[in-house]
Amino acid sequence: MSARIAVPVFPGTNSEDETLRLLRDCGGNAELVHWSQASKLARYDAYVLSGGFAYEDRIRAGAIAAHDRMMDYVIEAAASGKLVFGICNGAQILLEAGLVPGTGPIRRPTAAFTRNGPAPHFICRHVYMKLAIEPVRCAITAALPEGALVPAWAAHAEGRLAATPEHLSEIVGGGHLAFIYASANGIVDAAAVPNGSALGCAGLVNREGNVLAIMPHPERDAWNFNHLDRRESDDVLAPSGGSLLFRSFVQALASA
Amino acid sequence: MELHAFDAAWSEHCSYKSSRRFLKNLPTSGARVLLGPGEDAGILHLGTHDGERYAIVVAHESHNHPSQVVPFEGAATGIGGIVRDVLCMGAEVIAVADPLRFGRCDDPASHESHVARGAVDGIGAYGNAIGVPNVAGDVYFEHGFDENCLVNVVALGIVNEKDIIHSYVPKGAEGWQLVLVGKATDPSGFGGASFSSLALDARDAELNKGAVQVPDPFFKNVLMRASYRVFALLRERKVVAAFKDLGAGGIVGCSAEITAHGGYGAQIELDKVNVAVEGMPPEVIAVGETQERMLWAVPPDFVPELLRVYNEEFGLPDVAYNARATPIGEVTAQRRYVLRYRDQIVMDVESEFLTGSIHDELPYTEKIYHRAAAQELPALDIQRIFPRVLAHRDVCSREPLYRRYDSVVRGRTVLPRGAADAGVLAPVPGSRLGVALAVAGNPRYGSIDAAYAAEQAVLEAMRRVVAVGAHPIGLTDCLNFGNPRRSEQFGGFVAAVEALAHAAAELDLPFVSGNVSLYNETSAGRAIPASAIVACIGSIADIANVVTPGFKAAGSALLWVGSREFVTGGSVLAELLGDKGTLPRIEYDAERAALAIMRDAIARGVVRACRVVADGGMLTAVARLAFDARAAGRKLGAEIDFGNPLCEAGGFVCEIAADSGMDVTGTLQIGTTTDAPELIANGTRFDIERLYEIWSQPLAKLYP
Repeated sequence: MSARIAVPVFPGTNSEDETLRLLRDCGGNAELVHWSQASKLARYDAYVLSGGFAYEDRIRAGAIAAHDRMMDYVIEAAASGKLVFGICNGAQILLEAGLVPGTGPIRRPTAAFTRNGPAPHFICRHVYMKLAIEPVRCAITAALPEGALVPAWAAHAEGRLAATPEHLSEIVGGGHLAFIYASANGIVDAAAVPNGSALGCAGLVNREGNVLAIMPHPERDAWNFNHLDRRESDDVLAPSGGSLLFRSFVQALASA
Repeated sequence: MELHAFDAAWSEHCSYKSSRRFLKNLPTSGARVLLGPGEDAGILHLGTHDGERYAIVVAHESHNHPSQVVPFEGAATGIGGIVRDVLCMGAEVIAVADPLRFGRCDDPASHESHVARGAVDGIGAYGNAIGVPNVAGDVYFEHGFDENCLVNVVALGIVNEKDIIHSYVPKGAEGWQLVLVGKATDPSGFGGASFSSLALDARDAELNKGAVQVPDPFFKNVLMRASYRVFALLRERKVVAAFKDLGAGGIVGCSAEITAHGGYGAQIELDKVNVAVEGMPPEVIAVGETQERMLWAVPPDFVPELLRVYNEEFGLPDVAYNARATPIGEVTAQRRYVLRYRDQIVMDVESEFLTGSIHDELPYTEKIYHRAAAQELPALDIQRIFPRVLAHRDVCSREPLYRRYDSVVRGRTVLPRGAADAGVLAPVPGSRLGVALAVAGNPRYGSIDAAYAAEQAVLEAMRRVVAVGAHPIGLTDCLNFGNPRRSEQFGGFVAAVEALAHAAAELDLPFVSGNVSLYNETSAGRAIPASAIVACIGSIADIANVVTPGFKAAGSALLWVGSREFVTGGSVLAELLGDKGTLPRIEYDAERAALAIMRDAIARGVVRACRVVADGGMLTAVARLAFDARAAGRKLGAEIDFGNPLCEAGGFVCEIAADSGMDVTGTLQIGTTTDAPELIANGTRFDIERLYEIWSQPLAKLYP
């Protein structure tokens, strides 16, 4: 029996279907769990928190959802070493819950993905995320090549990593900076960062390496038809680069 | 009560009382049409996958008046309403588009700029939150819209043809329950329908705010998902039902139509309506336009299941105050529409009288437009004028605006907003089927010749869909015009409708959905530029054939495909030269030939890249193909030679492999692509990086 993956759906989540579809396409045994059935969450082996606007992003994106009953289960699962992967709104929730970078108490965040800068607006832009840690540092990235470039779409109004200088040093020193923005050729510079994120951060991992939070959406560049830069010979229905991270996640579950 | 009910039902907004006699001339049928105008949205056959037939549901509306008064909320509720129109046909909503017309925003601090920013932010906030990608749209900035912005919205849905749900009850529906779902009814939006049919007076703006509805995309997100769940249950149990959006006219408008159009009456208990505040007068409950509400008509034995999904599984009451699914009445055999409140009958009228057609035969001045071939222009100083064309407010990059819209949520986007001339989606997961969507309607033409503008809107929307590799299958329109009670302004409307009908007949495409927005005039009695805005839907049998953006290689041939009329009238060039120019007759033989050449070339796979020629002319289209390549990291340029490369004669520029073997009859080779990052036009040399800077910057002042 393969490991069971839950995709929790909060009121306001909007990317659950494509997340579920890609997980399944990568061989994952995944299903949606709605907020009205929160108690079902105890039965799963891994959790993928998808994009959206849970609880309307009130106060700050993810702040309310981090206190939802569903997160009690996710927090407990993370502490027991189960894999937890958050994308966009899911990532914001994981930061607000204090699970990543995980350098403070639960639900007392030491960093947040907050209002974009310098322009404080929603931005929808194709980006590349570059793996900035040893692949095996995080169980979810373990099957990626070193320095992997993952194509994805940034689509958020609150994706700028913000923290005090002390906490930013902790993030760097503790090896929490999992992904940084890069251009298509792998070059890391300010032009590649869509939102003013500190450290050019696109994703963070916790100390134990079982919780990963990324802002951009690889599941929206999952098939070649999603990828504007495809070659004419590419089968449009075959997986594209964005699926690599999902595949790595599902592989980690299989080998666990 | 009757006063308010009929005020809404018989408003221009709902009844089309002055426009209907002209609209009936639009062609609305065809092999692809499953449902023409009449219900909440039109439906077109898309294609077959795995033995199942799929259709595209499309609706097109305006939310002009509310957006002028409260731009953010007005535009947001425009998206909210159009999404419900598509949803209630049993479809999954897959895309929205937003044709926008704003006043001049040269000063980012002006009121016009406030409207232009607020409307865009409202559209983004709503669409992004509900998770529907915005894949197409356009925007123009003209003084004619300074006091009357246009916010048109289009939405697409995908549905298995077996699962279409209608907006009226079927035969045998006597005794069915009417179940209101959504937010608690509140006093917002009271009088919205008749408000939309008034000319705006700045002094009344404050007063009118009460008529604008309050958007709640967070709630809508949940309402949509719960409704998808109900669709699945109806499929499973093979239950037939009717579903309709509550729009103009609120509970009365919706419940009267859903029953009367099936040949039945209705009895509604207003006391059963879940309200947000106690003590609302019955007429406010009955016709108020609180957003995020819909009405089901279902057999009584399905009611418990319906209530369970909305109220428990998706917990509507926990998501918004007193939101829920509530039975409020039933379908009756007598064709009477009866409202009860506190044990009294507060209204009892013939259903047909309330929903039936009323007519208002307003006089109009017949418009005769002068069409003439363009005169030779004096030799152009391309070096000086082309950068000004690229920086022009109607030509420069729209990216600062549309990057505020999520164009890729749901993971089905093939061509996102701005990547090409039309948006493309793969709407059926796992299938190669694609759907393309584009909009058009050039107000610079509209201020000269309402009929020419309407015909070109049809042609340009079609060209855009063809340019990405799709087959046009249907059209929608939104007719935004001035005051029908001024015969001169109404004449423009009449001419435009005739022109739309003519173009659609010549090009053999049906209109399947549409909307009319009148009274777009200033307090001084000046109408907006005639604005027949058209959307075109295209089908794609295999998304592998979609033309991807930008030049692909050096040494390709650049072909011009299109009419050879040199149109300078209404062009950006003419404006910059201070000349109005003339507009020619449209030669449909040439237009049909051009569309056929492009479709054939794309089908045979020889087109490497393509852009339509529109605002800014041919040279702008060539520059954009170079910009598109630049975005993909390909440093390619072009050298072309073409009479007047800035005239806006509609057509296509495409890149074809030099050895493609394509039959080039009917096309004109205007140049080749090069591996130098420069554009050479009629011997004048431009640096592409520099051109890109000029083109990409201007709107960033308005949308930082």
